[in-house]
Amino acid sequence: MDEMTLNVSSAAVRADGLSRRYGATLALDRVDLTMERGITGLLGPNGAGKTTLLSILATVAEPDEGRVSVFGLDPRNAAERVEIRRRLGYLPQELGYHRHFTVAGFLDYVAILKEITGRRQRAEEVARVLAAVGLERRARTRIRTLSGGMRQRLGIAQALLGQPELLILDEPTAGLDPEQRLRSRELLSGLPGDPVIVLSTHQADDIAAICPKVIVLLQGVVRFAGTPAELAATAAGQVWAAGERDARAHLSWRGGDNVWRHIGDRPPAGAELVAPTVEDGYLLLSQAAGAR
Amino acid sequence: MTSPSSPGHRQSGGADWHASQGTLAAYAAGEARGTVAWSVEAHLTECLQCRSALSASVDADRLAHNRSVLMVRVAIGDGGRVRRALCRRGLPDHVLRLLAATPSLRWSWLLSVTGVLAVLAGEAAAVRYGWISAGGPRPVAGYPGPEVLVPFLLATPLLVLAGVAAAFLPMFDPACLLATAAPFSGFTLMLVRAVSALAAALVPVLAAALLLPGPGWLPVALLLPSLAVSAFALAAATVLDPRAAAVVAGILWAAPALLLAAAHLPLLVVQPAAQCACAVVLCSCAVVLLARRDRFELGWMR
Amino acid sequence: MRRGAGDRDDVALLRAVARGDEEALAALYDRHAGWLTIRLARRCGQPDVVDQAVQDTFLALWREAGAYRGGGDVAAFVWGIGIRRLIDLVRREGGQRYLRARRAERPQVVVSAEDQVLAGIEHGYLGQALADLSPELRAALEATVLDGLTCAEAAVLLGIAEGTVKSRCHRARQALRAALAEPQAGRRTQPHRREVWGTS
Repeated sequence: MDEMTLNVSSAAVRADGLSRRYGATLALDRVDLTMERGITGLLGPNGAGKTTLLSILATVAEPDEGRVSVFGLDPRNAAERVEIRRRLGYLPQELGYHRHFTVAGFLDYVAILKEITGRRQRAEEVARVLAAVGLERRARTRIRTLSGGMRQRLGIAQALLGQPELLILDEPTAGLDPEQRLRSRELLSGLPGDPVIVLSTHQADDIAAICPKVIVLLQGVVRFAGTPAELAATAAGQVWAAGERDARAHLSWRGGDNVWRHIGDRPPAGAELVAPTVEDGYLLLSQAAGAR
Repeated sequence: MTSPSSPGHRQSGGADWHASQGTLAAYAAGEARGTVAWSVEAHLTECLQCRSALSASVDADRLAHNRSVLMVRVAIGDGGRVRRALCRRGLPDHVLRLLAATPSLRWSWLLSVTGVLAVLAGEAAAVRYGWISAGGPRPVAGYPGPEVLVPFLLATPLLVLAGVAAAFLPMFDPACLLATAAPFSGFTLMLVRAVSALAAALVPVLAAALLLPGPGWLPVALLLPSLAVSAFALAAATVLDPRAAAVVAGILWAAPALLLAAAHLPLLVVQPAAQCACAVVLCSCAVVLLARRDRFELGWMR
Repeated sequence: MRRGAGDRDDVALLRAVARGDEEALAALYDRHAGWLTIRLARRCGQPDVVDQAVQDTFLALWREAGAYRGGGDVAAFVWGIGIRRLIDLVRREGGQRYLRARRAERPQVVVSAEDQVLAGIEHGYLGQALADLSPELRAALEATVLDGLTCAEAAVLLGIAEGTVKSRCHRARQALRAALAEPQAGRRTQPHRREVWGTS
């Protein structure tokens, strides 16, 4: 599939100094990042700029400043932009569907947009992605009768058409029940061809489960880029478990095992240090960012 | 039926004949001799037992794969009658499927357009035949006052514009982000949809105009204004926000039409001078559209 | 041959398909796709063309289930559609067509001794005469008689001209008539073999 030779630059996807402004709000503030093959998680709350960043990477929006390079190609060049799009699979956060379409009809439509000409190849591709997300029995169902979880899976399916080398998924697990989330994780970890996968979420356990690399985006700025273990380690020495709540901690909540978990640098009375999780690291970072 | 030398076996009753295991296996492997194979094949069409036995020797994965692709093809279908007819005329299949996603090509839309035009034309006809009083001066020669044509003249290019606008406005394409992020040329997609919306909208327009009791050249005279207004909207969409472009294009037609109607010269808007103006607008907008077609590749996230 | 309950089910399934029941189509597929694949594979050596033909067959069934008039086995109906879909594909694909390995030259199927005796005594003449035909003549005869194709369709499938199909069928029939007219002792003789072996 790779007719164009890849650039010498090692990173598959690279962004330098991306900035984007919507009216008075600065959605992205000089974002630098690199992504390799494999799954990268983009973690951040709503309004952090994740959707903006992903839409810029998906060539659907343009940054005000900065440059992007995808597989060595520059989206500002029209021909290279089309080439990027040939290798791209994109699931936007708010994906609308032509409601009168059937599942298979919609996928067929997207397959045509992805330049899969030939009725036969399209049918094969559609059958393949339907099997991958578990919607084979729903091929003839109208989209307006699908549940939210199924629509989400349909969204993932359309992104998989054409076996893209770059998969950009904006909140792919939103609205999925735990079992479906597990299946999505399974699906994403097992994709052939080792594509670059970027998925955004605000749930830390999704990240911890399948992403070898995490980028934390808060208020348009990259606060962390590294492995989940490293993210967890940033909270080392600041996570405590105690029998009761301490008001002085930055954050505390009671877990399902009736133990209060505290994040802060002052240990509550009678508390013991526990190993930090990815979520703890993330919460600590958001605290710090909020304080600025 | 004579069975040439085929190794089968007879049931004890002598009534049934079935192919033996070995024969079926050989046939499945493609190694049965000509006459044996013939006999097996002729027998297969009538014997469920041997068919089932034979089916068991096909690769299950292959059968399952074909089955899933088959059900997908059944689900995708081959479109309605209109699409099949168009396909036979030589229109490529994938273009037709793209059109299926265009709201202004759905029957519901076309029927409503036809309905509106029917009402307008019907009202004009009713005045002509004296069922409703039009007020205003009544000229000789049996034509009603041109005032009665105003609603029709005003509405027709706007309806065509609405159809074309629905073809390219992102708010009418729920999956517009996918279309942008896909390699398929945004300009081609927009053109395909706009042209087919135009063609589809012009059919009821011309039909209604023919029924309209007015000058005979009226149907044809409405073509250029409709095209000009649509082309303006598309060209303006490369500069302005697409919705604003459609609105401006609409005003560009409505304003002169209303002004001339107020001055009691409504037909001037479709007279030769106006036709030339429309032609000029059409050509210049086409040029602008081609020059700035890159704008359609970038999506509408501004 | 006795028509069993299976065939009645097939007719019911076909009627359900005509009403738009896709589960019925899937059931028909499960019953018939297997043998159809094998039988079509005997006429075309390319597995993906055969797969495509099988899919096209059931798609055609989906659209035209109403055309079944109940006047024959459903399996024969399916075969009729299938072989014509295959011919359509072969005609469209062009290039490498009817690829059939020369089975006549390969080792024959192992037949049990008992069956051999049975075959030899009861059906030796016709079977032997058919076996003695050249593969080309036999193929032409098979296409027109067994598959029920017209000469034009057979021509597409075999990759030869229509006139050639007609002449080969004619020669095949002549050869068969000649072979059956001669008194047989149960085993063919060499001169007889040379007489019927021919290509056109």
